[in-house]
Amino acid sequence: MMNKKFLINCQAVGSWTSLFLFSIFILLSLLSCKKEENVLWIGVAGPMTGDQAKMGIDMSNGVTLAVEEWNERGGILGKKIKIIKGDDRRDPREAVNVANKFVNEGVVGVIGHFNSSCSIPASKIYFEFGIPQISPASTNPTLTEQGFDSVFRVCGRDDQQGKVGAEFILNILKKTKIAVLHDKTTYGQGLADELKKNAEALGATTVAYEGIIQGDNDFTAVLTKVKTKNPEVVYFGGIYPEAGLLVKQMRHLDLDAIFVSGDGVIDPEFIKIGGDATEGTFLSFGPSVEELPTAKKFIETYTERFGEIGPYSTYSYDATQILLTAISLAKTIDGKKVAEAIHNLRYEGALGAIEFDEKGDVKIAPYIFWVVKGGKFEPYKPAEPEPST
Amino acid sequence: MFQQQIANGIVLGSIYALIALGYTMVYGILELINFAHGEIYMIGAYSAIIFLALLTTVHANPPVFFLLLLLFSFSMVMTAMYGATMERVAYRPLRKAPRLSLIITAIGMSLFFQNYVMLTQGARDKVFPQDVAKDISLMLSDIFQRILPPGIGSPHGVSLFGAKFSNMDIVTILSSITLMILLQLFIKRTKTGKAMRATAQDPSMCRLVGIDVDKIIRVTFIIGSALGATAGIMIAANMKYGRVHYYMGWTIGLKAFTAAVLGGIGNIPGAMLGGFVLGIVESLAAGYISSEYKDVYAFVILILVLIIKPTGLLGERVPEKM
Repeated sequence: MMNKKFLINCQAVGSWTSLFLFSIFILLSLLSCKKEENVLWIGVAGPMTGDQAKMGIDMSNGVTLAVEEWNERGGILGKKIKIIKGDDRRDPREAVNVANKFVNEGVVGVIGHFNSSCSIPASKIYFEFGIPQISPASTNPTLTEQGFDSVFRVCGRDDQQGKVGAEFILNILKKTKIAVLHDKTTYGQGLADELKKNAEALGATTVAYEGIIQGDNDFTAVLTKVKTKNPEVVYFGGIYPEAGLLVKQMRHLDLDAIFVSGDGVIDPEFIKIGGDATEGTFLSFGPSVEELPTAKKFIETYTERFGEIGPYSTYSYDATQILLTAISLAKTIDGKKVAEAIHNLRYEGALGAIEFDEKGDVKIAPYIFWVVKGGKFEPYKPAEPEPST
Repeated sequence: MFQQQIANGIVLGSIYALIALGYTMVYGILELINFAHGEIYMIGAYSAIIFLALLTTVHANPPVFFLLLLLFSFSMVMTAMYGATMERVAYRPLRKAPRLSLIITAIGMSLFFQNYVMLTQGARDKVFPQDVAKDISLMLSDIFQRILPPGIGSPHGVSLFGAKFSNMDIVTILSSITLMILLQLFIKRTKTGKAMRATAQDPSMCRLVGIDVDKIIRVTFIIGSALGATAGIMIAANMKYGRVHYYMGWTIGLKAFTAAVLGGIGNIPGAMLGGFVLGIVESLAAGYISSEYKDVYAFVILILVLIIKPTGLLGERVPEKM
């Protein structure tokens, strides 16, 4: 009896002590968490690991460059700027976790996310807590259609991209029988739907409309089905790994239609996976950064620092510049005022002049088409249009 | 279109079948569903890519046929080692534990392997060097053009019964059937095979008559893993595929498991039949119904089999497994 009682006492004492130690620990960590007074935090959110990790790293490299430039000039509002990264692993649930984390850390603005399916759920949280969000890459229309006045994007929208794609197929390639494939994601299906709608409005026929599974390796079944419909063009809304396999398996099945896709495919991995089959495929994307005079200096510093430039590095850089410029103009970190400043801003960046409309979209979205030639992406310049007869 | 869909299904099916053999063997002996087997297949594919990278670093350039042989041996040895280690580390300590602990451990091993490969090999997709894949394909087409009647073989693939196969597809189908037959012969005709069948029936009795049960189980894992590796290489080296990523084993592992159940788990020809049936059903359903739900069909089949005929197509002899 004695022994048992003693033991129980010991346990009680032990648990009280540990509770005490635990609360001290929590207090300490809270204290150490207390913001460093002279630092402003900016959040960068995107897929930092997982199959799209390269995109996230490209983004954070672009942001890093912009932040370093500002810090060299003495920071902003007398404070140094620091970056905090959030990894959403292209998973919408993770994106929400990242957003909550950023809110807790008290970031003054967010550059991200990469995927539309992540940006949209996260944007609700940023809006609720008045944190301006600028996405460098999320093109799904919904993002800026939610009535949030603190959400922006520096890239185009899928409805713009879908329209440009449809016009390209009908007016430049002069093809009317289109098979539309998508990967069932917010981005992929959204883009495919916009293309289908716009192409049909211009008089094209959609001979097939099919979804595929992201991460799958074998699309021969769906392509065999598509082949029986004899499309002249296969349009794919999705990301590069599936696109690479799709082109390869199309050619294997002797489906000779022209492959056209969007900005999710413009990645060197696409050519690596697809091999020779990617020759002559068309992809819509922003203008060639290399050919922009405004981007020259940025490209030099970037390649010197991080190596080859990624498709969204420039967008992330400009997005960061816009956020920081707006903060310095608003002279406050109050999200509402910063967002207002972004709306009124006309920013001359690496991508050229950027202005936002009331929704937070860029006023001009200059999509152009790229073609794969000799294993490289190249801006497509159509031959002189033949005089119409 | 119908012939092509059947062909697509047969190719997919032979991959499922090769992986299903590993599931069914392990189940036959341990009554364990080794969920980590899909990851062994993934490691097989990665090993092939690593091996090619090693070759380039030492500037070795062996003839293609020899290269293919080396590729297969290297990956099979690698995965056999992984399989044996997994059995030793994760499953042997649980020999007397309840069945549920084993299954949970198997799922744990699966997650472990996925993350292990992600951390060591990076999260990005890896691509089997396309020039090597092309060389292999050309070498195969050379052989096919010599043995097949003219007009069937071509450098881009083989046309049979109105359907088109890539050169590697033909190898995949033939080798999966051959390996299944060899495995069946091994189990029915050799002494080790007899010991395996005995272990499947009654491990404690086997111990009494002097069979090293642990060794037999190890051999089972080694064979199963090596078969998984061949599936992995054939996906990686096929001109049609060639993409390898760390989570590729999960879905295909579940489908191979479905194939094993469909054929009657524990039954080797059954695993093969289940694989082919599943592949063809999947292709036809994706082609004629909707490709959006391609993964759903396999699991619908799994549920139907479990409800209607839990012993599977060839599973009458369940008490006498393998």
